[in-house]
Amino acid sequence: MSEDISDRIRALNDIYGMFYSISDTDIGKHAFHFSAKDNLATKDHPTTAGSRILSGYRPPFDAAPVESLRRAGGALLGKTSMDEFGFGTFSVNSAFEVPRNPYDIERSCGGSSGGAACAASLISGHLALGVSTGGSISCPAAFCGVYGFTPTYGRVSRHGLLDYGNSLDKVGMLSADCSLIGEMFPLIAGDDPRDPTSCGHPEMRDMDMPTRVGVPRDSVEELPAGLRQTFDSALEVLKEELGMEVETLEMPMFRYAQPAYYIIATSEASTNLARYGGMRYGARGESLDSHFDRYFTDVRSEYLGAEAKRRVLLGTFTRMVGLRDRYYIKALQVRHGVISEYKRAYQKVDAIITPTMPFTAPRFNEVAGMSALEIYLADHLTIPPNLAGMPHLSMPCGYVEGMPVGMQMVGDHWEESMLLKAGEAWERVFERQDPEAMV
Amino acid sequence: MELLDFIQRRFVMDKETVRKVAMLARLELSEDEMESFTKDLGDILGHLSMLDEVQGLEDYAFNPVEVSDVLRDDEPHQEIDPEELLRDMDTYEDYVRGPRLS
Amino acid sequence: MKIGLEIHVQLPTRSKMFCPCPTDAGTPNSAICPTCLGMPGARPSLNRAALEMGLRLAKLFQCQVPERTWFSRKTYFYPDLAKHFQVTQYENPVGEHGLFDFRGKPIRIRRVHLEEDPGRIRRVGRPGEEMSLVDYNRSGIPLVEIVTEPDLSNPAEARQFLSDMLTEIRHTIGLTDDGEQSVRVDCNISVGEERVEVKNVTGLKNMERALKFELVRQTKMLRSKKPVLRETRRFDEERKVTLPARKKEFEEDYGYIGEPDLGVYNIRAMADALDEVETPLNRAKRLCDQYGIAEGTSRQLVNTSMDLCDLFEEMATASDPKTALFLVTDVISSYWARLSDDLDLGTRGKMIDTASRYGKGEINDIEARSILRGLIAPDDSVGTEKGEGTQALDDAIEAVLSSNPGIFDDYVKNERAANRLIGEVIGRTRGAYSSKEIVDRVKERLQRGP
Repeated sequence: MSEDISDRIRALNDIYGMFYSISDTDIGKHAFHFSAKDNLATKDHPTTAGSRILSGYRPPFDAAPVESLRRAGGALLGKTSMDEFGFGTFSVNSAFEVPRNPYDIERSCGGSSGGAACAASLISGHLALGVSTGGSISCPAAFCGVYGFTPTYGRVSRHGLLDYGNSLDKVGMLSADCSLIGEMFPLIAGDDPRDPTSCGHPEMRDMDMPTRVGVPRDSVEELPAGLRQTFDSALEVLKEELGMEVETLEMPMFRYAQPAYYIIATSEASTNLARYGGMRYGARGESLDSHFDRYFTDVRSEYLGAEAKRRVLLGTFTRMVGLRDRYYIKALQVRHGVISEYKRAYQKVDAIITPTMPFTAPRFNEVAGMSALEIYLADHLTIPPNLAGMPHLSMPCGYVEGMPVGMQMVGDHWEESMLLKAGEAWERVFERQDPEAMV
Repeated sequence: MELLDFIQRRFVMDKETVRKVAMLARLELSEDEMESFTKDLGDILGHLSMLDEVQGLEDYAFNPVEVSDVLRDDEPHQEIDPEELLRDMDTYEDYVRGPRLS
Repeated sequence: MKIGLEIHVQLPTRSKMFCPCPTDAGTPNSAICPTCLGMPGARPSLNRAALEMGLRLAKLFQCQVPERTWFSRKTYFYPDLAKHFQVTQYENPVGEHGLFDFRGKPIRIRRVHLEEDPGRIRRVGRPGEEMSLVDYNRSGIPLVEIVTEPDLSNPAEARQFLSDMLTEIRHTIGLTDDGEQSVRVDCNISVGEERVEVKNVTGLKNMERALKFELVRQTKMLRSKKPVLRETRRFDEERKVTLPARKKEFEEDYGYIGEPDLGVYNIRAMADALDEVETPLNRAKRLCDQYGIAEGTSRQLVNTSMDLCDLFEEMATASDPKTALFLVTDVISSYWARLSDDLDLGTRGKMIDTASRYGKGEINDIEARSILRGLIAPDDSVGTEKGEGTQALDDAIEAVLSSNPGIFDDYVKNERAANRLIGEVIGRTRGAYSSKEIVDRVKERLQRGP
């Protein structure tokens, strides 16, 4: 490990803005280095989850995955920038640094783990801890041309993860090197009594890569031609070089995954964000000499960003008395239906494959022109596995006009090893093109 | 009465609804925010209404995988010194200061 | 008049409900951790003991226990509520549709659920502009909430009901305090059609006062044909009146959602596996039936201690109920509080043996008392032998004499009259003197005459 790595990282960060904060520690002495998305608590770095409402917050403890990697000898390079609390698809909803795409700095890195994907793409041998709620690992991995691995819900402890949607949030890994993920992932997996949802699950078992994969028919319709072509070629490689059988699947429940996801995610988020009121951590109000309703309202209105407010409003609405059955409970039922549909599919195929995103990284000015609903709809391929808690891996599979394209492979609950095997096999047959860093 | 009336109008996302929901969430919206959120939420709710098509699903759970009977033994212990936890808080004689109650 | 109660009792666990912080802290904010402070990224994990206590209570009130239970988030903003949501139960609480047999009158229990206590607020500053100072030691202490149907018909009955219920609760979950200070009650009371809720009343006495106040207030309103408003009120402990709670500017909506950080609990199986224990009130009933003792006495026995009841039953078997009752109520119960913990098996055996001998007439009552006292309060005789003086004993004798002036005459007629005096003096001096000492001193005093 070179001694001037933090100088290089600072230089990269000046251009790409992937870090919210960078360590001063000498990483040369450590076995490996990693970064953590800024919604993972760290003792030695401020932790803001991209929000001004947490300005200056220094957690008194490390998030479990950070703790595990440190214990294994890893050095934390820094905290990566992200959409506020994970609310976004393009990492432009950060109150701080907006990361820029390694292949074209006028374009988005994707989100919400945009900084993580950018770091994974530009820093060689780097492992980035990311977090996915509805596609926040897959999407930026695809846009930045790296591997993005999201495990089964509950596989990795969320102790120390600043919540977005507790029944959806998953800590995963991004890297340009899939075998590094395969090597490091077991370090952060497993029971942690500090997060009950991580306890009592089947152990990680060693599996072979899938031999039969399915492509949901709806997922490839209406794709831009270049992207469709790239994806189809990738399927050919899977068949020809990795010997997989590819078939088409009907997954009619998937179209309901998106509305169900937004209801569950925002319902949970609106309760998680209730705690930010300026009393014990983060931003403070001007004076405690005002009525508590006024005080909390002032702090929240001033320091939460627009997308956070939008999602808090949506989530508060969908769980209101009289509406809760129509929205919140219905969404939970739909999630159950989507999971059942996956389980049925896995009786026929080992894994399900789609493109990761329906387009390549957009320019920032294009993002600015999108409505809230259009942005929500962009996640339609990453949401089903995230809603269902299914493990998935986004792999770089080609380039359209110089911008990376990702394909996403989804396995059944607890079958992480099958996906990582596929990723390592893919790595051997697919030639990644490193971005040309402007440093 | 007020609530019933509100529920009956639930399909409409108007400024009044947004204002009420914002109040519940302890958010005060500027005129601009009010305009844009009313429109955005209206669009989004229109999209969410496609869930009305789905019928006949009854089972549900709060987690996507089974999480059951995870319990902790009743053994007291503290890992972090309370002093450290209070370090950045606004305190008065060991109490955490909060805003006015009335 | 209809009264329904929502009763909150803190569960006597050693650690908090969702984090391992201790529950017995004194200094404010000394038993705190990221979880009970609601810090970002900290999560809950459920205390097994709290869940078991909830299930024991659900069973105690003959509730239907669902196959599975889970927790929910109840969102509202208040300075004492760390996360601005309370983890409580909404659907599928630990118990529903139960029943409490209140001295022959069935009181329906709507539900029993578990939840976390918020922090404690200290109000400082002038009334009307009070600042809040928060102590999070209480944040996350487990609570059980028991909701009754409106089956109670007057304030006195409500108080008696709650007192009985607390007796059962105390025994079932091992609560050591009497509940008078710690029980918090929301009272629903309607004299006419409209229901009024008096929130957060602490203790039995205050509850009865609040209910009485409402009874009078609502009756007056109805008599003068004024409408009783459906509203929430609070009880002012100082002035002993209920007052309308401050109106919120808008209706709160708790927006309950499932708590996704805990998962579900298969409680039917857990509840079935819990051993059944006879409750104090059931035991009181059985003692009446089985040994023919008065209802008041049997309740007194179970209220003193279930261990004492065990001893009573063992003595009754070794001798007869009358003998056992005499020895237990006359001698043992006054010492019970300080000895129940370290009553070893040997001593216990000797006590039962004494009952047996007294029952057979081998020893008389004074001897039996004296032996028992020697067994359960040996330190006292040691104390007096060291010559701590007999002033207190003399004072006790004089006090008893002054309220029994006729005793000198009785003693002249029959020396056994001294026994009455001896018994009372033993009671008053609570084991500070040996029985021989008391007997000698009393006889000496009686012989001196008035």
